[in-house]
Amino acid sequence: MDASQVSQITDMMYALRNPAGLPTYPIIFIGLSVLTFALHILFVQLMLGTSAITLIGAFSQNAYWRRLGAAMLEVAKVSVSVAIVIGVAPLLFVQVVYDPHWYTSNVLSADWVIGFIIFLILGYWAMYYYYFVNGANQDKSATPKARWSMLLSLALMLLVGFIMHSLTSQILHPELWKSWYLQQNGMLDYTGDKLHEWNLWRYAFFISLSIPVAGGMLVTYRRFKSVRSDADHAYLNWAAEVGKKWIKVGSVISTALYVGWMMTLPETAGNFATSLWGILAGVMVLFYAIWAQVRLKGEARFCSYMALPVALVIGLIVATSREILRYDILNGFFHYNFWDYKIVFDWYSTGLFFLTFAIVGGVVLSYFLTIAWKAGQTVGVYTPSAFVNKLGTLSIWIVVLWVVQFFIVGFYVWAR
Amino acid sequence: MDLISLYPTWYESTVGSGWVVAFIATFHVLASHTSVGAALLFAYLSHKAYREDREDLLDFIKKYGLFLLVFTYVAGSITGPGIWYSTTVASPNGIGALIHSFVWKWATEWVFFVIEVVGVYMIVYLVGKVDKRTHMKISVIFGVASLATMLIIVGILSFMMLPGKEAWFQHGGYLNGFYGENTFIQLAMRMAFMFTMTAVVGGIVVAGIKDPAFKKEMARKLGWLGIISTLIGAALFQLYLKAVPDQALLVMENRLPTYFEPSIIAVLSGTLAYFILTMLRPQVLVQAFAGAMAVVILVAGLWPEETARESMRKPWVAGQYVYSNQVIGRDVPGMGIKSQIPLLEKEGILKAHPFTPASLRTANEGNKIQAGKFIAMVYCSNCHSPSKTGIRPLSRYIPDNITEARMEKYVKGVLTTGNIAYMPKMPMLDSEVKALSAFLVLNKEGGEKAVDAAIHQEIQARQQAKLADSAKNKIAALTQEGK
Repeated sequence: MDASQVSQITDMMYALRNPAGLPTYPIIFIGLSVLTFALHILFVQLMLGTSAITLIGAFSQNAYWRRLGAAMLEVAKVSVSVAIVIGVAPLLFVQVVYDPHWYTSNVLSADWVIGFIIFLILGYWAMYYYYFVNGANQDKSATPKARWSMLLSLALMLLVGFIMHSLTSQILHPELWKSWYLQQNGMLDYTGDKLHEWNLWRYAFFISLSIPVAGGMLVTYRRFKSVRSDADHAYLNWAAEVGKKWIKVGSVISTALYVGWMMTLPETAGNFATSLWGILAGVMVLFYAIWAQVRLKGEARFCSYMALPVALVIGLIVATSREILRYDILNGFFHYNFWDYKIVFDWYSTGLFFLTFAIVGGVVLSYFLTIAWKAGQTVGVYTPSAFVNKLGTLSIWIVVLWVVQFFIVGFYVWAR
Repeated sequence: MDLISLYPTWYESTVGSGWVVAFIATFHVLASHTSVGAALLFAYLSHKAYREDREDLLDFIKKYGLFLLVFTYVAGSITGPGIWYSTTVASPNGIGALIHSFVWKWATEWVFFVIEVVGVYMIVYLVGKVDKRTHMKISVIFGVASLATMLIIVGILSFMMLPGKEAWFQHGGYLNGFYGENTFIQLAMRMAFMFTMTAVVGGIVVAGIKDPAFKKEMARKLGWLGIISTLIGAALFQLYLKAVPDQALLVMENRLPTYFEPSIIAVLSGTLAYFILTMLRPQVLVQAFAGAMAVVILVAGLWPEETARESMRKPWVAGQYVYSNQVIGRDVPGMGIKSQIPLLEKEGILKAHPFTPASLRTANEGNKIQAGKFIAMVYCSNCHSPSKTGIRPLSRYIPDNITEARMEKYVKGVLTTGNIAYMPKMPMLDSEVKALSAFLVLNKEGGEKAVDAAIHQEIQARQQAKLADSAKNKIAALTQEGK
């Protein structure tokens, strides 16, 4: 590509920017995008990993695996929901800062974008179908029915992951967008029926992280359940051992796939693979195996709870590295500057979000998660302490006050 | 080079991209409104269960909650971003306009979404595992958080029709865009219909209740909820019509199908009749009947409403400044947004579009059908399908045996000037008018096959001419060398 071709592509990207601009600095959106993506992908990996454990359990004759499969199905179900709801945030922020890239990539593969919705709903329903067929059965060691539905669910989840992977890969190739639209035979392709770009190393890397993350879940599961008075310690210790193995082996596999991804980066990525961030992400993935070897020896009661937070921190570094790769290609090679996006400041909505996030989100989720945590560890009915009850009352007041401020501000603006 | 913010066009030939958005949106409205209504109903029932120490109400919440979790939360939480996905591919600048103005509002809504998703699992799975008082508190928080998601999205939805305050155009500002008369009336109307949906869908759960006395109690509760909310919703709909721009009413009078009004009246009457029947004779409420009625009442009621809302805001798709064909059609000084119409009038659509192939940047005899199709895709296909099926097919609006000359007069006199109230102004150079007209006539006479064949011919002729040119140049170069 010569300089004039690059310049034409840069002009096109600038032209596609939304003229309404941004209500605050782009760095804030990029930061939130990285943070929420890391959380989203953690739950995606948790969902895939625990689905895989459910399937292993379903096809295994081993009674422990059967029990573990049934228990992990519960985690998988919730993880899909959480992955979807947390995924809304990076999906929002990518449209704000990367609108030229995201919209073009999507439109050029529109049928797959719509297909994503349908496949995801079907995949989720298939998981629930498996749950309803087997959930009521108290004998967790019996051979589950409708195993095909769990297989279908996992296959559809992997497919939607691949679609998302492809759409984000297409963002990185603005030099190919026009050639995807105008086919080689000279006809324009308005159908959006093709996925145009992917990197199997990259896809496999993100998917493979499900193995160590699911391993982290298993050691956490043991720790969480072990305090219950009805805990089966032999079974829980076995689950934790499986988890430690999955963390160690999975991290090594993921690191190898990461190296494969780095070796297949496009030329437009320059020397990212050998840059600080390029190397750091791979090293951090491998670090998870080392951490598990060192910190999860023996009982490791406290460190069992650290397994998932450590995975999140590693995921955050990988997500940052992924963002810098995107920046290196689009800014470094194509000179598309993210920081000069037009800004039309809006302090009110910016402030309202951060206050809602910190106060409403912080207090209410603290209350909800405390209740869920304690109820999960209690045999029989859980009755909260006076402090937790007060936290509940405070949560009600906070959400009610939020609604009240919505109407007060709204009516004031309307009447003004 | 002056380019405007236009993306490639996605064209779904069977139903049209507009209907794909409408399908997903209708499904989402059904799921999300039911969820919010049910969340508030759960708060009430959970409070009653706590006060009166009743297990049966908690059991009802658990059953209804599980039903919602599988059908409306799964489908609702996926079709929510699904609306983004479908509008991204069908109307990228429309959704972009909303996202860029209301990103923080959506982010705020997301906080409540997270609370909702955690909350619904807790409401369903903690029945019998936490004390009733705690369950009530969770239900109240869940109900109010669900309501908050509705409050936030309605402001954005009403902005699609028009910004809250006229001052937004001159002065910008999120608050001016978000809040207005339309916002609050629409909110009240949606809340009323949201309870109707909750009552209708709840019938499926009531149908499964074994105890006749409890079944009767719940059928009556939901019946009254449904009747009152349907009547209030219908009255608010009349009020809502007074809060929309005159232009929208004009479009509604002229463009909505004749069956719209009778079908709305039929749905409202049918809904009331259904509630009265289930209250008087709860035993008729079996799951198959309740399920079928839920689909019939909700889809038949929602589909015309969503279609009407989509039609009424034409020619705009967002904020009365983004045309349905994605072009920015007016200045918005408050946001520093300039109309793209002057540039299009000067340069034409082909040169201004970033994705126009080099071979189509100037329309001429050698590319007129392909260029014409490109223009139709950009300017028309969002509302008029170029195929025989789909949304308002183009060919249906063109008389038989029309000549290209007559078509050109129409395109130039009506489309480029914006002389139809509900259609955008579509500036074109004369060469582009000719190209679009030639395409429209051929599309009318021969359909897509004839158009594709003609484009193939144009491409081949261009390639042959290119080869001939290259051969000529080579011969000239060799001759030059020979000399």
